[in-house]
Amino acid sequence: MGFLPLSFGLPAVLAGLLALPVIWWLLRLTPPKPQTEAFPPLKILARVLRKEETPHQSPWWLTLLRLAMAALIIFALAEPVFNPRERISTGGNAVAIVIDNGWASAPDWAMRVASAERLIADAQAENAPVLIAFTVDAPNAEIGPFDAEAARERLNAAEARPVPVDRAATYERVAQALAELPNTSVAVLSDGLASEADDAAFDRLLANAGGLIWATPQGVTEIGLTATANEPDAFVVEAVRPTADAGPRQAVVAALDDRGRRIAEAQLSFGAGEAAATAAFAVPFELRNDFNSVAVDGEAQAGAVRVLDENSRRRRVGLIAQGDGDEAQPLLSPLHYISRALAPFADLVEPSSADLGSAIPELLEQRPAMIVMADVGTLPDEAHAALTEWVEGGGTLVRFAGPRLAAAEPDEDLLPVRLRIGERALGGTLSWTEPQAIAEYPQGSPFADLTPPADVTVSRQVLAEPTADIVERSWVNLADGTPLVTGARRGDGTLALFHITPQATWSNLPISGSFVELLRRLVQLSRNQGPGNAQTGNGEATLPPYRLIAADGSLVPPTPDARPLAVSTEAAVTIENPPGLYGTEEGVVAHNLLPQDATLEPIARPETPLAVRDVAYGFDEQVDLRGPLFAIALALMILDTLAVLWLGGKLRRPRAARAVPAALALALIGAISMPDAHAQAQGEETDIQPGDEEAIAAISQTRIAYVLTGDSSIDAISRAGLEGLGRFLSAKTALEPGEPVGVDIAVDELAFYPLIYWPIDEGSEMPSQAALARIDAYMQDGGTVLFDTRDQFGAGFDAGSASPSTMRLRDILANMNVPPLEPVPDDHVLTKAFYILPEFPGRFNGSPLWVEASQTVEEMADRPVRVGDGVTPIMITANDLAGAWAIGGNGAPMLPTVPADPMQRVYAYRAGVNIMMYMLTGNYKSDQVHVPSILERLGQ
Amino acid sequence: MASVGAVSPAVAPRDALARARVRAALVPDLLIEARRVVNTVIAGWHGRRKRGIGENFWQFRPYVDGEAIARIDWRRSARDDHTYVRDREWEAAHTVWLWADPSASMLFQSKTASVSKDSRALVLALALAELLSRSGERIAWPGLTDPFSARNGAERLAAQMMHAANLPTRPNLSTMKRFSDVVLISDFLDPVEETREWLDTLATRGVRAHLIEISDPAEEEFPYSGRTEFQDPETGTKLTAGRAETLREDYRNLYAARREELSAWARKLGWSYTVNHTDKLASDALVRVHLAMSQGSR
Repeated sequence: MGFLPLSFGLPAVLAGLLALPVIWWLLRLTPPKPQTEAFPPLKILARVLRKEETPHQSPWWLTLLRLAMAALIIFALAEPVFNPRERISTGGNAVAIVIDNGWASAPDWAMRVASAERLIADAQAENAPVLIAFTVDAPNAEIGPFDAEAARERLNAAEARPVPVDRAATYERVAQALAELPNTSVAVLSDGLASEADDAAFDRLLANAGGLIWATPQGVTEIGLTATANEPDAFVVEAVRPTADAGPRQAVVAALDDRGRRIAEAQLSFGAGEAAATAAFAVPFELRNDFNSVAVDGEAQAGAVRVLDENSRRRRVGLIAQGDGDEAQPLLSPLHYISRALAPFADLVEPSSADLGSAIPELLEQRPAMIVMADVGTLPDEAHAALTEWVEGGGTLVRFAGPRLAAAEPDEDLLPVRLRIGERALGGTLSWTEPQAIAEYPQGSPFADLTPPADVTVSRQVLAEPTADIVERSWVNLADGTPLVTGARRGDGTLALFHITPQATWSNLPISGSFVELLRRLVQLSRNQGPGNAQTGNGEATLPPYRLIAADGSLVPPTPDARPLAVSTEAAVTIENPPGLYGTEEGVVAHNLLPQDATLEPIARPETPLAVRDVAYGFDEQVDLRGPLFAIALALMILDTLAVLWLGGKLRRPRAARAVPAALALALIGAISMPDAHAQAQGEETDIQPGDEEAIAAISQTRIAYVLTGDSSIDAISRAGLEGLGRFLSAKTALEPGEPVGVDIAVDELAFYPLIYWPIDEGSEMPSQAALARIDAYMQDGGTVLFDTRDQFGAGFDAGSASPSTMRLRDILANMNVPPLEPVPDDHVLTKAFYILPEFPGRFNGSPLWVEASQTVEEMADRPVRVGDGVTPIMITANDLAGAWAIGGNGAPMLPTVPADPMQRVYAYRAGVNIMMYMLTGNYKSDQVHVPSILERLGQ
Repeated sequence: MASVGAVSPAVAPRDALARARVRAALVPDLLIEARRVVNTVIAGWHGRRKRGIGENFWQFRPYVDGEAIARIDWRRSARDDHTYVRDREWEAAHTVWLWADPSASMLFQSKTASVSKDSRALVLALALAELLSRSGERIAWPGLTDPFSARNGAERLAAQMMHAANLPTRPNLSTMKRFSDVVLISDFLDPVEETREWLDTLATRGVRAHLIEISDPAEEEFPYSGRTEFQDPETGTKLTAGRAETLREDYRNLYAARREELSAWARKLGWSYTVNHTDKLASDALVRVHLAMSQGSR
């Protein structure tokens, strides 16, 4: 089959295809077995059947299906292979496979293994022994010759390692083995990157070889990180890429913290033709200190990861002081405030001895980024020289003044400015000056973007000799212009001098927040001067592996073959010392794969007179088609079974089943619509608010309300009175009021009630303004309040006298908008709303019922009845109406009338009826005036 | 998938009898209208609501000259000046022949049917026997019994049937006299010409026949599909249909035409023709035959 990448293991079986026509013929003749049915009316059926020709052959498509099935089985038996791979004829007696398994092989290691497996398979086909060697492996690793099975085991056991390849050593071993196996083909599966001494190694390898099979990756695109630097303004990562990778390229470098969380990222861009690039993390200092590793996104190999140790982060700061304060008085110690200020963001190192001659070299051993000297006057010459050298080499020396420095000779090398002997006191008893505040930080000072403290004063300082450059050396000035902090560059280093003591004796700057800010800025300016050396002087010190970089670039716990790292020497990255962090939780040292000057050069194929064959890496893509073909044949067989069943009429669905889809659809629709219904129900539920039930009860019947005074006896009489009135109303009129309601005018909703009966009780508390405002609003909205002072005979005999209840009523009404009032006139609707009543007695008689004054007599001259529109919002009486209405449980009156006249009680009820009718029907009874004339017309 | 229909074993007459009793209890006493059979009257037990020969008092009527003096009811006549004759209610009975087809094709029962055709036919026959004997009619089974009158007629029929050997597929119809009724229960699947030829003897003798066709729903609906081999339970003949569903329309037309022809012929002779499906109740047919027997000759 030339047009298809298809080959057959047993092509002879294909001859079976010739049998297909026979199968076809047989199949055509074999109809499916019929279903047997007993059928009494066969004679009738026979008459029908005579017309039709019974098919004695299978339908054509069934035959086709079965033929296809047979053909598929024949094909499957012929062992077809799709995409058969090309056989690499290795030639020679044996094959030596040399595989690079360094860090650059990690991303496509599986492909390399696949390629090697193909070589092994081909060698197996030729019965050639196989040597297999890895360029990163233990020096004593077995390299063969193996048979194919052992070689495969060896191959599968190997893995990519996160270390550089060591071709020279491996090739040497292979070459030695080749010496005993002449005419051996050598297969070099390289990672595509050149290493040192490649040429010599290849020469040695190919010396005894019989042929070369050469495989390199198509394009090498690994990015390696070569260096990191914690610059003052950013954390800088340097990266390289293979020189062959020439196009412009962008990559993202991520910074991870110690738990592998991504805390920052930066862009890495290689220009066209550039092999190196840098990325800068412009993130705050504190965040940078959390960096544990940096890695290039999308690069699953160890070279793209760099672990960071303390060197990249916290600065070491050496502290030197003379005449340390008493341990018992730490606040007086010169270094106390400095160490408190620096400890959060720097490692503090203090010398073990107070002797400056030994203390300073000891400090310098630690290679600190910064040394703080608190009031150190004169230095020993040796220490001075060492310190000067350190500063010029990039160290930052921060000095604080004090009595000793003030008394010392000027030190040009280690002071940024010349100092005058002695100090200047401000605001002392004999001084005219005041303690000085700090001025704005001058432009050009490293502190320029900080805010100077307003509350710091300096009362004493050392003074700089005025020089020409004093202004540019002044980093902080006092308000009067004298420098407080001066600084200068010395070589690569920096000198800074605080003209005050580091304690709070000369100024209160050391106990201010600005002190921390200033020192922190200085620390940020400093740079570490090389890796720290924890075990100084112990050259054999080793650090155990702590976290290692795996071949795929992830940080993993130590592997068993990782050995402790010797710190003293520049240890190479080997299989025993894979890259990663060494040390313990307390402190680690980074051991990184790529040196700073690393370049990634492409490997060159060695010049050799041998026959060379280039091979590309690739997976074995051949597919055995036997399984799929058998599966298809099986599927066809199932189809055939179904078809036969269908032909036999056995696939008829019961009628009920036809309803199933519809039922399912209905159920589905139901299920979909259910949530809506549910939501609706919920929506209805949420409509209900607290108090709704009371409201519904209040409006489903006409109910008369009374004001709860707080006096239970009055409230009980009010309730009993309204109940009595209710009974009277039910008996005499069409109105059947509900239970009377006691309302708290401050809280309850009033709008439900047509009439509120308010017995005035001088003993109870005066209603609040808000409650009165509610009553007022109720009256304005159409409600009526019936005030009852119940004191017809309580007032004095003087004309102007008023009872306490009346006084209270006046107080209440004073806060409301009360319309003009008048006693019920004779022609008021109230007098004829139901009964004809000249007066409105209660328990007492004689008090008028005050209502809103109706229109003037003049306007209404032509009307027989006053009050055209509206219902009075207020009624006032003193007759104690509720007292007269009140009935007990047995229906008997509770209180006697005064005087004890039964008719008065009847009139009292009638008054109540009239009031209620007036409330509910308004003024329609005014029209009653027309009754006489109507009757007259009717001929009465 | 099981077959649509199957040949069930023949039903036991005792079992059919019990079911027939239940059916018969549902139907009011059968009253045969026998106006035309004056000459062959034999006293029955049920009054005909008219004057005639019987035991029960019907009415007194004035004596008409020419009547036998002996018929005067002196007791009644003594009460006033007229002479009265006591009329008795006319009571009559006649012979009803019952026959259910015992052929093999009757044993068929499809899945949708509740009973086999044979069972249904026997139940109907016995139910009629029960009804008729309760009314005092004489019943008979051609080839099995002569006409007899007994209260327990259905039981006696069932017992006779149990002891009888093979009943003939076609009974001898020559014993039936004029004015008797014949109830023939069968599936009538033979060609119409043969059936008519067989029944012509009845028509010529003036026997009133009631034909009940027992039909299985599968025979009527023809619910078969796919490749099907049909087998005649009587003859064992086989027929194979490639796709049975294609035959359905034609077959149903033929089946309905057969029934139509037969029933038209029966109606023309004044006979009744009732179709009873085995998936329906037997009472349907019972009521219809009852109706036809009591009023059909009007």
